[in-house]
Amino acid sequence: MPSKKRAGNKKGKQSNFAKLSIFQPNKYKFKKSCPLSTKGAPVVDYKNIRLLKKYMSENGKILPSRITNVCQKKQRELSLSIKRARNLALI
Amino acid sequence: MNLYEHTLVARQDTSPAQIKQLTEKYSKLVEKNEGEIVQTEEWGLLNLAYVIKKNKKGSYIHFKIKGPGKIIEELEKNEAIDKNLLRYMTVKVKKFDLEAKYFSRKDDYEKKDYKKDYNRN
Repeated sequence: MPSKKRAGNKKGKQSNFAKLSIFQPNKYKFKKSCPLSTKGAPVVDYKNIRLLKKYMSENGKILPSRITNVCQKKQRELSLSIKRARNLALI
Repeated sequence: MNLYEHTLVARQDTSPAQIKQLTEKYSKLVEKNEGEIVQTEEWGLLNLAYVIKKNKKGSYIHFKIKGPGKIIEELEKNEAIDKNLLRYMTVKVKKFDLEAKYFSRKDDYEKKDYKKDYNRN
């Protein structure tokens, strides 16, 4: 698996949304459903840092939804809660 | 009546006694203004993501408050001049999530969802 070679990619093969990677396998590239809209998905909240970190680059930027496949509604929630967490110096 | 989540960040050199004092001070302020504190959480001393006023760490206190909007006015007025605090934030919510503990030590919460990959930090 080419994506495993990258130092930044810590998630290995179980991840369904590899971060900004040109080498990501095709099956992830064309995944359509939003990972936050399925049943039993975690709640987007500014206190849930671990979740928010998944949707940020290593430099602390918010990842675009075209890479993470998050739907528009959830992306808005995400960006709001990331900004709240930033204000509290949590991330 | 509205529901609010209110978070305070205190300086890193505040003692546990002082933090208790702060918690009491603001809880009293809420009660004086016809509000009600549903829950208080202490997240403890956490690393700040960036330095604020030369502090690398901060003690977090989190309130869940039920009451009219003027409480928040009153609280923030007092917090703005409080020298022990670095930041404060209020968020209006529709419903309280009383179960999720994102900041307790060794939380099972993350183990369930994210397994070993997110142990860093």
